[in-house]
Amino acid sequence: MKFSLSMQSILAMAVILMLALPQSVSAQVPARFYWKNLVGGNAVPVVYMDMSGNANPLDPAQFVVPESSFEATVALGGYAKTFTLFDRSALVAALLPVGRISGGASLFGRDFTESTNGFGDPTLEFVINVLGPPAIKNIPQAMRYEPGFSLDLLVDLIVPVGEYDDDQLLNMGQNRWYGRVAAPIVWQIGSWVPGRRTTLEFLPSVWLFDDNDDFLGHNLSTDPKFQVEAHLTRDFHKDLWGSIDVNWMGGGKSSLDGIDGDDLDMVGVGFTLGYHVNENFQLTAGYLASVSDDDPTDLQVDVFKVSLVFGWHPLVEGMKRLGGE
Amino acid sequence: MQWIKLPYRRAGIMALMLSASIAWADDRPNIVIILADDMGYADMGSFGGEIDTPNLDALAAEGVRFTQFYTHASCSPTRSVMLSGVDTHLNGLGNMSEWTAPNQKGVPGYEGYLNDSVVTLPQLLLRGGYHTYMTGKWHLGKAPDKIPRARGFERDFSLLDGGGNYWDMKNVTALTPRLVFTEDGQYLSELPEGYYATRTYTDKMIDFIEANRGDDNPFFAYVAHQAPHDPYHLPKEWRERHVGEYDKGWDSFRRERLNRQIELGITKKGTALAERMWFIPDPTQLAPAPRAVLGMKMELYAGMVENMDHHVGRLVNYLKSIGEYDNTIFLVFGDNGAEGTDLFEMIAGTPGTLNYLNAAINWSNTDPKAWGEPGSFIGYGPMWAQVSMTPFSQYKGWLAEGGIRNALIVSGPVVGRPDGSINDAVMHIVDIMPTLLDVAGTEYPTHLNGSELPPITGKSWLPLLAGEADTIRSGQDYLAWELFGNRALRQGDWKLRWQWKPFGTGDWELYNLATDPSERSNLADQAPDKVAALRILWEQYVAENNVIIPSRSIFETLEKQLPKRVPDDPGYPPLINKRQFVPPPEMVKEST
Repeated sequence: MKFSLSMQSILAMAVILMLALPQSVSAQVPARFYWKNLVGGNAVPVVYMDMSGNANPLDPAQFVVPESSFEATVALGGYAKTFTLFDRSALVAALLPVGRISGGASLFGRDFTESTNGFGDPTLEFVINVLGPPAIKNIPQAMRYEPGFSLDLLVDLIVPVGEYDDDQLLNMGQNRWYGRVAAPIVWQIGSWVPGRRTTLEFLPSVWLFDDNDDFLGHNLSTDPKFQVEAHLTRDFHKDLWGSIDVNWMGGGKSSLDGIDGDDLDMVGVGFTLGYHVNENFQLTAGYLASVSDDDPTDLQVDVFKVSLVFGWHPLVEGMKRLGGE
Repeated sequence: MQWIKLPYRRAGIMALMLSASIAWADDRPNIVIILADDMGYADMGSFGGEIDTPNLDALAAEGVRFTQFYTHASCSPTRSVMLSGVDTHLNGLGNMSEWTAPNQKGVPGYEGYLNDSVVTLPQLLLRGGYHTYMTGKWHLGKAPDKIPRARGFERDFSLLDGGGNYWDMKNVTALTPRLVFTEDGQYLSELPEGYYATRTYTDKMIDFIEANRGDDNPFFAYVAHQAPHDPYHLPKEWRERHVGEYDKGWDSFRRERLNRQIELGITKKGTALAERMWFIPDPTQLAPAPRAVLGMKMELYAGMVENMDHHVGRLVNYLKSIGEYDNTIFLVFGDNGAEGTDLFEMIAGTPGTLNYLNAAINWSNTDPKAWGEPGSFIGYGPMWAQVSMTPFSQYKGWLAEGGIRNALIVSGPVVGRPDGSINDAVMHIVDIMPTLLDVAGTEYPTHLNGSELPPITGKSWLPLLAGEADTIRSGQDYLAWELFGNRALRQGDWKLRWQWKPFGTGDWELYNLATDPSERSNLADQAPDKVAALRILWEQYVAENNVIIPSRSIFETLEKQLPKRVPDDPGYPPLINKRQFVPPPEMVKEST
């Protein structure tokens, strides 16, 4: 006879979905990044990354400097908001990298041992769903959301306003416009019950670069870079999930004053763990390293990443306030 | 339940039939009973439901629908009467075994199982030359001498419990954690591979019929579906047929079903809906999220009914394929009103109890995305039970019309009425025994193994089905019920009712069902003479049928659990029902 509306479970469902908001754009994004959520939601991500390799980890052109060694400690902070466009789910986000980078390399007959810090180039991102469930405009739709086969269109634009010194090999900013067009894919495998969700996710993308006409006094140009990120994700518990991550990059040949380098051909593998801390917080931690880096000219990458996202939605927050939380 | 006028007593000349099967040169019809567990009066399309039930509706279209068919208010009492033709208080189900009261313990008629004082319908049909098959829920006893094989079913695949998991042997209660099944008189240690209750019951019944096909004996097939009883377990493809359709809430569906019932001729024009029970919210005042959560429960229920309909269709198609359909009588009905009580909460809702622990381990698949899967336990609650029982008041367990009135379809060679016709005769589950004995040409004996049998008190429907009569009961005949301490009696259009508070008043109430089938207007104060006359019949019923009012009841503390009962005046209070005032556009201006 008891009549219960189970509002607590409704709240939890809505917020769980909402916490899949962006965590990073210029770096490789974690799995489950493009799950949809209740439109009108907001998120502030903070991403901490510890990176090393033989290319500037902040430069998605991944310009390889053989025999070099770079290390970077970077934090990304930003803001994202979801909304509806043509009845499809859409998202805009802005992220700003800050941190420090250091390393040593030889280039143009010069030896560089440098370090720098400060603000990097901000990223502006727009994502709209093309195939899959319509925009989630209310909690009932959020409750019923299942991605099935979902495909988005993504556009990133990185604005060259970060700190840049044309006399330095290493910089936080890249001194050129660049961006990418991508098609995030989420493919649901099996049921969509929290604790048992499984997905196969892909992020094919093409990066496009303007020239950096003042790279140590030289002109740096980069061909389009192709990238496919793949994730097999699985819930271990309704609040804990993991993924196996594979990242391939190809193309993206860089040229210095017209002298061509090599195309990239990198395969990286890694893993991610995600934990739903509470109705507002989502935590992920992961590691990814290149495995196709035997040759000194091969791209070497090594990334530890921890992200914390605070997400909220006015409706859900209002319900929580009424609930005395 | 008992008729005191013209009791159905067959002459005892056929007592010998108990000891010898009769060899018929047989063109007697086969008999199929489709019993749906907790299905509501208004769920089938042919009774006004929006649920897609093409196979059941096809039977209705070829047969006749009865609008005033009564069962008991819960399952095992109904089944006991159907299979024995004898009142519950005599046949062992004076109370459900789960709720036997202290003052009923040890009293004959209250054993909690179908007792040995009665002979069963399948026993008589078997000895009359019928094959007798049963699949599905039994709920009338578990001991070796109480199981279907011992009570007359030649073949069976039976769930002996009252309900449980549809996929495996898990039960809900901690001290009876394992469901008990029998097959052909043997207890099962495990279920067949790929078991799903509704499908397997159908498969088994087809197997039973197929095994004896060709020996020219007719069969009695009792398909006692577990569906759509909670928990609502069903394959995924059946869970997602009505996504979002029920989000608009129960009131809309009650109105729509009533309108369709009036269009179909199931319900008289001018009939009012019963009150929305006072503790059920007005769905228009609910936010979309809780409406959706509650709507999802009804989506599952609709899927349960549709899945059952699908499997009924498989059985029908099989009978057509073997050429037996045209010579088969179908009876389709539910066993009581739709279930509005939260059974899971009642059993497992108290932290710290064994049942709570059992539920935490086996029944905690609670995410709405998992509803319908094994380990989930979803019932649809009182708001949707009222929809299922449109236009009536209340639901299973109670003796308002919503607890005991059921949709009945009868089709087959005994039906001489126009295809798809509707009849309003007052009928009862107790009639099934004499009706089917008539169909089989078999008599009800006076004695069994030297003991005198209680008389069966129902009325054969054959004249009614043939179109030779429009009713089977006179104005003096009456029906009576008692269960859990609730009491009711119907004579003609009048119904006397006593129910526990707050569903009842704790006193006798009087309703005229001809003008008020929804039992909105208690006329007890206006017609005290009628109350007094019907109470005399009630006392007669009690005396003749061994009725012992229980000293304890499932409903004894309900008044303290529920909010105070108030009328369901539409639009009250205006505080939350008023709509935004919109001034005339020409009088609107911006402030200067």
